[in-house]
Amino acid sequence: MADIIIRNLTKKYGSEKALNNVSLEIKSGEFMVLLGPSGCGKTTLLRCLAGLETPDQGEIIIGDTVVFSSSEKIMSPPGKRNVGMVFQSYALWPHMTVRDNVKFGLDVLNTPKDVSSETLDSVLLSLGMDQLEDRYPSELSGGQQQRVALARLLATKPPVFLMDEPLSNLDARLRMDMRVELKKFQSESEATTVYVTHDQTEAMTMSTRVVVMKNGEIQQVASPGNLYHQPNNTFVADFIGMPRINLVNLNKVDQDSTFFKNTDVQIDVGWIPDSNEIVLGVHPENLVVTKEKAKSSEKYSVTAVLPNGPETIIQLTRGETAVIARVAHDSKYIVGESIYVSYSVDSLNVYDAKNGMIMHPTKK
Amino acid sequence: MINFSSQKKWIDTMIRQFLLNPVNIALALLLLVLSYLVLWPFFQLVLETLTWGEGDRRLSRDAVPGEFTWFHWLQATASPISEKMLYSPLVNTLITGMISTVLALLAGGTLAWCVVRSNMPGKGWLQPILTLPYIIPSFAIALAWETVFRSPKVGGQPGLYESILGVAPPEWISYGTIPISITLAIHYFPFAYLLVAGALATIDSQMEESALISGAGKLTILRRITFPVVAPAFVAAFILTFGKTIGQFALPFLLGAPVQFHTVATMVYANLALGLDSLAFVLAVILIAISLVSIWLSNRFIKKKSGRFETIGGKGFRSREVNLGSWRWPVFITVALFAFIVGILPLILLAVQSIMLIDGFFGLENLTWHFWVGTSNPDIAFGEPGVLHNNNIIGATWNTLKLASLSAVIASIIGLIIAYIVVRRSDNPLANALDQIAFIPFLFPTIAFGAMYLTLFAEPVGPIPALYGTFTLLVLISVVSRLPYSVKTGVTAVTQIGKELEEAAEVAGASWSMRFRRIVMPLASSGLTSGMMVSFVGVMRELSLIILLITPSTRVLMTAGFGYAEEGLTQLSNALVLIVAILTILGELILWRIGKGRMARLREKLD
Repeated sequence: MADIIIRNLTKKYGSEKALNNVSLEIKSGEFMVLLGPSGCGKTTLLRCLAGLETPDQGEIIIGDTVVFSSSEKIMSPPGKRNVGMVFQSYALWPHMTVRDNVKFGLDVLNTPKDVSSETLDSVLLSLGMDQLEDRYPSELSGGQQQRVALARLLATKPPVFLMDEPLSNLDARLRMDMRVELKKFQSESEATTVYVTHDQTEAMTMSTRVVVMKNGEIQQVASPGNLYHQPNNTFVADFIGMPRINLVNLNKVDQDSTFFKNTDVQIDVGWIPDSNEIVLGVHPENLVVTKEKAKSSEKYSVTAVLPNGPETIIQLTRGETAVIARVAHDSKYIVGESIYVSYSVDSLNVYDAKNGMIMHPTKK
Repeated sequence: MINFSSQKKWIDTMIRQFLLNPVNIALALLLLVLSYLVLWPFFQLVLETLTWGEGDRRLSRDAVPGEFTWFHWLQATASPISEKMLYSPLVNTLITGMISTVLALLAGGTLAWCVVRSNMPGKGWLQPILTLPYIIPSFAIALAWETVFRSPKVGGQPGLYESILGVAPPEWISYGTIPISITLAIHYFPFAYLLVAGALATIDSQMEESALISGAGKLTILRRITFPVVAPAFVAAFILTFGKTIGQFALPFLLGAPVQFHTVATMVYANLALGLDSLAFVLAVILIAISLVSIWLSNRFIKKKSGRFETIGGKGFRSREVNLGSWRWPVFITVALFAFIVGILPLILLAVQSIMLIDGFFGLENLTWHFWVGTSNPDIAFGEPGVLHNNNIIGATWNTLKLASLSAVIASIIGLIIAYIVVRRSDNPLANALDQIAFIPFLFPTIAFGAMYLTLFAEPVGPIPALYGTFTLLVLISVVSRLPYSVKTGVTAVTQIGKELEEAAEVAGASWSMRFRRIVMPLASSGLTSGMMVSFVGVMRELSLIILLITPSTRVLMTAGFGYAEEGLTQLSNALVLIVAILTILGELILWRIGKGRMARLREKLD
């Protein structure tokens, strides 16, 4: 229901840049996930949006309103930004009942009593908390507390939801259930959502788009599918995917060849990248593993076999080069066995070893 | 391109935003007010010792009021009266301080071990009795001592000792170093007890068990493991207790003044009574110096040792009781007897003596309720009516309750606000400074602090009226002296309130005052009320802090009691001190109930 535009945002803590010239546009109704390792600036960015941190430079526009602008000296306080926030700890007020917790936001807005109690009833009912409205937060389970935090959002119906790792305090099973519920909740409310997490599964399953951050800078903004299949650089490639993507350092064989090699392996990338040293990114499921020698395959030896339900992860080495492959659960490999691996040209991502950026085949 | 005018505007906006934030305004205001109430008085006190006063004209022909002079310092340190004014009181202070601290620590340490680490029976009810001597006014213990050991040689009626044994007790047992040291030790051993018990409770018995497995005996374990681990707490307790004893006024005054035995604290009072104000202030400065040195030493020691001796709690932490075996009951009887003698007997003695018609004459026919309920009778106690009919005392009771409750409420709320600023603005150096300033009153021996306010508020300064003799001044000094404690309680309370709880309200659009009122205050309330109760009890039993500032119209129970004791009206002073003791015990009971209620609620949450 509201676009969010972030322009050249910089936030420093001392000399440390928590955010470095970050620009981002989030479309109305989008579920945008900020993803990155701890200390990457994702939470800082979220708190800047909420108005809980004052950036040093840049501009933030929510809907039609400029809520922060360093050049125009605008810094609207959190309460005036029309956003709702779910905190990592839920931040439920322990001295208030469930109902009072949800009601607080309406009180601040001076909502008339009858309107407020009507809203409360419907919000609590929609989240299945109507039976528990007189309980205190300490008397609720983790999942129920989570729902109260969501009810607080719904009560004032802000056009923007900000969520700071809201699922990280739940146990693994509950987290799965809540993921589904949260996604439904968001799409029904149609609010623009910015969601911070360090859990890539959460990011991939819930978002419409993902922002990957590192050291206060945006690495890539993409849909979950694009992010997985075409990571922008080696950092993103390495960060996304479970098990991790294989990154193999290779050198050009000669100027006109599509072949690259290192001391152990030689791989055909299918085109001629404009760099002598590259890093090849290939997801474990895209390695073609065969027991018999096939065309353009090389011999590897199996060093570890890790069965994992429907699939099996195997670790392979050839000289100093180690890769991981994902194979069907019924493939029978044993440690020490020799097998053959080939790389399918259309599933390879090629990165320039000098800067780690992705390279595309130039169309001639 | 740098746009200077825009930068200037930016800075203007920053300043405006700073000033618009109520927290920043509170910070600036509190810094200003506390500097005036804490730092400035100290500066004034020192200044006073270095300038000629109006009254000095009769002491020296050179006196030019208002001019700088070393006269008072020289008079105190290098004149014919120095011995009597400074050196002998100083020696007395140090000796009584040392003896009482050693005794307090021995008793406190042993008892702490028995209660925390052994399987002695009856711990539950012995513990509160053992803390009684610290709860009641120190003055009460001195009065009880006098009741037993009063010696007619210095005038007045004989004590219990002489009535029973027929011979007067030797003077050294009635007055001077020994009784002062012992009564101080009785008053302060619970303080040492609490400190050591706290340290003992953090010992993981696995440390001792592993020594046990290596074949060490119980005594070896105590000597080689337990004692070294609590040693830092022990030393800290030593220095802190010592620092407290030297500031004591009423107790050494009652048991020392009759035989011209003075400590630095009583000398401050005596000099002020003689009109030698500047000399009294020199002594107050010296007293502050001793206190500063001892606290500095303790901090240095704690800092140096604590890191190394930090015992890690959490996982696998267990505390196992040491089995006393056949010593269980003898130990229990000894501890119980001790608890009775120091905790309950003094109160009984005071109660009994307050109903004796002729002080020191122990017989049934001598018992009377006159001093409690009697009306004025010119034959008894110079016609002073009993405490329940005495308008002076009813006024003093009213004043006491008013002073204690006002100061407790104000100190707790200001303490909470300061704590809030200190915790939430921990990156702001000004907030840090505020924290430090609020702690400073802890470093001032109370009688010296009283002396400071005497100098500061004697005359009007600018818009601030002369507050001497007003009730406001008593509230002011009581509040400021409680701040170190109330800020500490406040910090604990605010730290427990997650920052996100407030931010959630902020995002919802709640203003700062609404957040403070609806989130911070309710969540801090249980800590706040118990802090208030502690302050209430603390102010009620306070004497040395306000003794210099009291006038007849502002008298409180403690000063009235002290006044009667000075006049030799023992029964009346006993009755008053007993009232204060009972009020403080009641306060502690309420506090204990609050604490228990809180524990119960916490437990409910955990289940």
